[in-house]
Amino acid sequence: MSLLRLRAALLGPARLRGAGIPWSVLRNYSSASATEKARRNAICERTELLEVLKARVKQLQASNVPEVTVNKVELAPLGNDKYQDPLRKSAAPGPAEEEPAPRGRDESPARPSSWVEKLKKEMYIRQLKVERKLSIAASQLALEGQTKAKPKGKAKTKAKAKAKKSLKSPKAKVAAAWSQSHAGPQGVYARGKPRVAAVKEGAKAQRPRRVLEDKDSSQYKILQQTIQSNLECFLFLQQPEEAERFLLLYHRSPVKRRLLNVNAYNIVMRSWARKGHLQRISRLFSMLESVGLRPSLDSYAAALECMGRDQSSTKAIWRCVQQLKNDGFHVDDLFQKCLFEEDEKEKVLRAIRIVQPNYQLPPPPNPQTCKTSLLQDFYSKEKMVSYPKLDFSVQELQERFQQQLEMELDNTVTIESVESTKPLTPQAIKARKLLATLRSQWRDSILQALQRSKNSMSKLKTASGYNILYPYLCLLPDEEYVDIMLQILNTLSPQGESLAVLARELGSKVYNRYITQRKLRSRQLEKVREVYGDYIHLLAKDSQPNEYLPREYWEKLVGEAGFGPSLNLKDCSWPYMLVMRLGMHMLELLVHAVKVPRNVLNPRLEPKLIPVLYHIYSFRSSWQVGLIKPHPIFSQIVSDAAETLLTFNSSALPMLCPPVPWTSPHFGAFVLNDTKLMRLVDGAVQHQLLLEQCPLVNLHPVLDALNQLGNCAWKINQPVLDIIISIFNDKGNEKLDIPPPISEAPRPSAAPSNSSTWNKSQKHELLLCKKKTAEMHSLRMDALYKLSIANYVRDKVFWFPHNMDFRGRTYPCPPYFNHLGNDVTRAILLFAEGRPLGPKGLDWLKIHLINLTGLKKKDALQERLEYANEIMEEILDSADRPLTGRKWWMNTDEPWQALACCMEIAKASRSPDPAAYISHFPVHQDGSCNGLQHYAALGRDLIGAISVNLMPCNVPQDVYSAVAQQVEEFRKKDAEQGVKIARVLQGFISRKVVKQTVMTVVYGVTRYGGRLQMEKRLKEIDEFPEEYLWEASHYLVKQVFNGIKEMFSATRDIQNWLTESAKLIAQSGRTVEWVTPLGLPIVQPYYRSRSTVLNCSMQNLSVKNSNSSQKPDTVKQKNAFPPNFIHSLDSTHMMLTALHCLRQGLTFVSVHDCYWTHALTVDIMNQICRQQFVALHSEKILQDLSEFMLEKYCSPGRETRALWQKKLMEQLSNVPKTGEFSLKKVMDSTYFFS
Amino acid sequence: MLAGRTPPGAADCCRRLLAAALAGGLRPLLCGLPPCWATARRAAGQWQSPGLRVPEAAEAERLMQQVQRPGVPLRRFIVCPQLARTVQRCLQGGTSPGPQPVLLECAPGPGILTRTLLNAGVRVIALESNSAFLPNLQSLENSLDGQLKVIYGDFFRLDPLVTGTVKPPAMCSDKLFETMGVAAVPWRADVPVKIFGILPQRKERNTLWRLLFALYECSSIYRYGRVELNIFISEKEYKVLTAKPGEARAYQALTVLWQVGCEIQLLHMWLPNDHLCLVRLTPQQNLFTGGLKPTNSANFVFMVKQCFAKPRSRLTDRLNSWSLDNGGKLLRELEIPKNAETRNLYPEDYRRLFEALQNSNMFTETWFHDEVLESIRNINL
Repeated sequence: MSLLRLRAALLGPARLRGAGIPWSVLRNYSSASATEKARRNAICERTELLEVLKARVKQLQASNVPEVTVNKVELAPLGNDKYQDPLRKSAAPGPAEEEPAPRGRDESPARPSSWVEKLKKEMYIRQLKVERKLSIAASQLALEGQTKAKPKGKAKTKAKAKAKKSLKSPKAKVAAAWSQSHAGPQGVYARGKPRVAAVKEGAKAQRPRRVLEDKDSSQYKILQQTIQSNLECFLFLQQPEEAERFLLLYHRSPVKRRLLNVNAYNIVMRSWARKGHLQRISRLFSMLESVGLRPSLDSYAAALECMGRDQSSTKAIWRCVQQLKNDGFHVDDLFQKCLFEEDEKEKVLRAIRIVQPNYQLPPPPNPQTCKTSLLQDFYSKEKMVSYPKLDFSVQELQERFQQQLEMELDNTVTIESVESTKPLTPQAIKARKLLATLRSQWRDSILQALQRSKNSMSKLKTASGYNILYPYLCLLPDEEYVDIMLQILNTLSPQGESLAVLARELGSKVYNRYITQRKLRSRQLEKVREVYGDYIHLLAKDSQPNEYLPREYWEKLVGEAGFGPSLNLKDCSWPYMLVMRLGMHMLELLVHAVKVPRNVLNPRLEPKLIPVLYHIYSFRSSWQVGLIKPHPIFSQIVSDAAETLLTFNSSALPMLCPPVPWTSPHFGAFVLNDTKLMRLVDGAVQHQLLLEQCPLVNLHPVLDALNQLGNCAWKINQPVLDIIISIFNDKGNEKLDIPPPISEAPRPSAAPSNSSTWNKSQKHELLLCKKKTAEMHSLRMDALYKLSIANYVRDKVFWFPHNMDFRGRTYPCPPYFNHLGNDVTRAILLFAEGRPLGPKGLDWLKIHLINLTGLKKKDALQERLEYANEIMEEILDSADRPLTGRKWWMNTDEPWQALACCMEIAKASRSPDPAAYISHFPVHQDGSCNGLQHYAALGRDLIGAISVNLMPCNVPQDVYSAVAQQVEEFRKKDAEQGVKIARVLQGFISRKVVKQTVMTVVYGVTRYGGRLQMEKRLKEIDEFPEEYLWEASHYLVKQVFNGIKEMFSATRDIQNWLTESAKLIAQSGRTVEWVTPLGLPIVQPYYRSRSTVLNCSMQNLSVKNSNSSQKPDTVKQKNAFPPNFIHSLDSTHMMLTALHCLRQGLTFVSVHDCYWTHALTVDIMNQICRQQFVALHSEKILQDLSEFMLEKYCSPGRETRALWQKKLMEQLSNVPKTGEFSLKKVMDSTYFFS
Repeated sequence: MLAGRTPPGAADCCRRLLAAALAGGLRPLLCGLPPCWATARRAAGQWQSPGLRVPEAAEAERLMQQVQRPGVPLRRFIVCPQLARTVQRCLQGGTSPGPQPVLLECAPGPGILTRTLLNAGVRVIALESNSAFLPNLQSLENSLDGQLKVIYGDFFRLDPLVTGTVKPPAMCSDKLFETMGVAAVPWRADVPVKIFGILPQRKERNTLWRLLFALYECSSIYRYGRVELNIFISEKEYKVLTAKPGEARAYQALTVLWQVGCEIQLLHMWLPNDHLCLVRLTPQQNLFTGGLKPTNSANFVFMVKQCFAKPRSRLTDRLNSWSLDNGGKLLRELEIPKNAETRNLYPEDYRRLFEALQNSNMFTETWFHDEVLESIRNINL
């Protein structure tokens, strides 16, 4: 027995790795000397081992086998565990008896009573004690055992099988794979380390558990997330037995158990509750108790639901409710805090009513109001005005909602592309037919491959306990997976696509459909439909005015609805690595299953089936990227077929009804499609966590602003769209930014057929052509998508739901066609709502037109207007004969918007009463160097304020010219004093030279980057002597910085203060966080990324995973803080403007620092914009930031009073001084935004 | 083992293999150490033939300081007479008696080795890219009767892929060979030209790849026959070039391709400090006798690179991923085990594999061509 125990203990490392705690995390616990010794020892072992192996191989090999083989077999065991050992896969569950919890693989789930658990725990601790005595020796032994056993098969296989089996989470697998992937000693090293760590970790009595959780909470979180998403799958699949089996795998191992939290148990409880198995639930309760976890509210909800379902005895329910109260909960909490699906809520209520027949649901919580001083007016009930109505009846909106819902239920939308008007060639007809045949064959073969793989996985499942992906391949009907894979195949460009991109796309498509299914299953959708039906009364023209904001109204309706499922799904997002792994698996299936006869285009060839997709590597200097490329035959057929149908995700199209209002970080935007309130950098979860922790009421302003932006209705400017499409379908026009078709791509001049005989210049030419073609292809496709979507909605009114990035900058969700796009896309968008031009509207249209041309930038508004009147003839000519006339519009900065504006001016000026003309045209107002505007306001820099138009002036000021002037002054002085380079630069300093650097100063450009910019500009000047480039650019960047410092004296100080603070914070190991004046919490998601390697049979995919280490990336944290902070301010300013425009009944949208409204309301918008800027900067922004950070990073409660902390405190308290600019002046500044 | 070859005191002397910093004094010049002066003086005066005085290290240093300019990347020169002599012996060793091919010395700089070689009776062509060194070299050229020829140009910027006029010191190989007066000889003929150079540290690997492409395509310098390269490379790269199958990190695509393409010979090794190896790369006479031809060799290069992109993958998997459907049969015929990993194949096996694939017409598929072109572009730019 003791021997057995020892062996079990020695197998520790495998078990530990299985638990998915990466060794690097645990490194902190292990003693360096021990590991070092172990490592050296391991190397010796390996050399010995090699000798043995060689001899053995020689024995085994037949003498005539080539030497290579011998060599190979010798080497195989060195590092690559992955391919060499098929035995491992089929390994019988041999090591069961060696496990501390022996019943892991029993067919019927074990029924551990708590005393068994306790006993087991005790035994384990005793084992640990023995182990600790053995300490280093033991770890060496273990290594020896492992290494030696490896080639022999049996013992090693067992250990391996065990490791394999216990790799529950992809994370775990990855962690293990990562350590394996290192050849040579590291592999052993990795194995050796956690061994020692395990002992110490295991003996947790001495070590507070907090250390692990704190140290790597994000890593920990991902592992937990993986476990939970797996359990959720089983819940969704209604397989409580599987869920429990999976849970037990973790529960039984004292190390792995750490990854379980009460939520994991709750999910299993819920799966049983749905089936009404109360006994199982009570057993889970005792399991919770045995591991020292407290049941949460959700646990009780599951228990009560189950009781409600199987009509338990009053006594049982009473006991349960009693226990709930003993744990400090209240019955009302159940209904206020828990999230329910399907009929869970009703069942819980039923159970409660068995013991308290008169129980009434608690009333919905009183809506809270945001207290930000900036929005006191906005939220005050006295001044409440009714929400602006759309020009639709309830009935119409209802129909539109139905359309949108159907679109989203289909997951994808297939639309005709704008190219469909072209006539079909016979060749195309033939190719389409062929493609259709092939596709149906592919569909079959993919389906077969999928089913085969699932089948083998399910077998594997019974053999070794668990397969990570299997449940994820069961969530949808097989055909849907096939659909997804075929979609990917259809969109693959001839140049191929990187493996990682394809994998992510496949994985996330499955995820999105699963979410849709869940929403259907939980009957969440039904409820959304119901609430939305009432909600549109707020917006429809034929309903009573309501004094609510969309969010408030929605919340009210939800509160009134009472029963049914919650609208928020319980958190069910999949970890990034899992998405990738699933995607890779599907990609592998696709690559293997899809084949085409080789002779399909050339009948003379042999009729052999060859794969359509192949996997190759592309080399980029020092690294390589795996690509999936379609076979040229396939690309040829696709291009011949010239198919004109485009398939998009339903979330890629604008919405056909007003978006669902954002009411929480989890809910809003599309009806079904899962949308994040904050766009996440791949894999980063920190901002999501931060949003969840933040009291919801603090997010109200941000949510309301997003709702306001999303509620703007749009329509298509059809005449402009038609002109664009006609050019697009003709030959395109690069000057007008309409990408030409590939047929217009340059062709190499008469290349000989055999590429090998080409000379250098021919090859070069060919390469250039190919590069150009590839570029053209992507530009063309992008334009095709945009125009086709625009064309699809040409007769409709549509909406762009909005979300934001981590700094609060807002973006429309649909990716291709939206108002953030280029000139072409902006030109085809109009407000769906029309407003009369009013007395000044036509003038604004004209000024807007001149702004779009890029002319007259330095002139006053009046002069721009006069200029417009002067060239009225050109404007009308452009409007009337855009393609046949004098084409004035084509030579402007933004030709398409200019053309659209010309047309609007023509229509308005020809109408009998221009002031009454109903215009849908958006007029833009741009901030002038918005970043510097915020800096100047923060620092109250007088000269700076003047140069970025915070001060009223007769003509707009140009900051770039001002800086250029300042630099020229410096230069003159230096030249007089005989500085050589200053003399060389005479006559070369201009606005153009300094512009880019000045612009980017706001975004934290360094001297280094600034010098490069300067060098580029100087190179463009032909007369500039080349030998002085370096010196001159160096000099110039210094002077530009000095110039800015002179003009914006406080700006540089603020920037430095921000940078330095961020540096110290990051150096102290924390990420920089702050809260915007509107209450939005922000965290900079820059971490030292570590690549984790996904072991897939096709290719090992290195996935950057910023979460696996929590350590901040100091350089990024530091450099990005000033620009991010400024961006958070400009987004705040925009949101404030949006909200106040709403109160004034204005239509308002924004493209960051460019604000759009109707011509009628430009003046009001400008006023609000200025007011809100003043209001925003009247807050003590830097003071508040300093206080927030002091509280956050230097609060006195923290135990360590290290030197850095003192330094940080000093730094943070030392807020830069400000200048004497009077902020109120902004109110009168015409050119602040213009 | 290798250190044994160097004379006693080599540790000091080897520093004279100068990492001469032209870059704004980024690296101190290492040549002015007193003990070495002595050795240098002793060594001086031994030379016969044109009887040129070889400048001492300190002199060379002065010369180099004169040409310092900011922004120019680091270059190495030989400034120690003793090392120059060792190199000269290495270069001349092992060659058969009879007329010696001309020696192209790349970037001679202060000309220490040049003089040493000239004194040993070698005909030298000096290719110098830094105009600051040119006057000295040219006056040397003028003082001799055709034994030395000086050309302005940069060996490591030969045949740039970008089109348009080639701006000196970049130059075209045909121009270079024309100036040198060397005509092309058939591949199987003797070495037409010997080249000596020190690979620029920063572009070392890139240069090796470029030379390799030229070798397999018989383009650039290899258009003129089996040009023999004698180059100083870092020990790290040397280990790569001479690695054996299965040596985990070192055995790479570069290894296979160089070993198939050239005979690789270690001439000399400076271990302390810079860890440089003087390596002779003589193209194989029989390189193009089998199925491998300059016209299809790019496919070979590409194939090997693909195989080594994932060195632990099985060869069959690789073949399958290229849409080759009868990979198994092919491997059987080549007697390569079905589960062989790509990193365990000998260079010769790759050659056989390629020839077999060539016969199976896999490379006629257009996609392979595209990729090959792409890879050439990536290496050349």
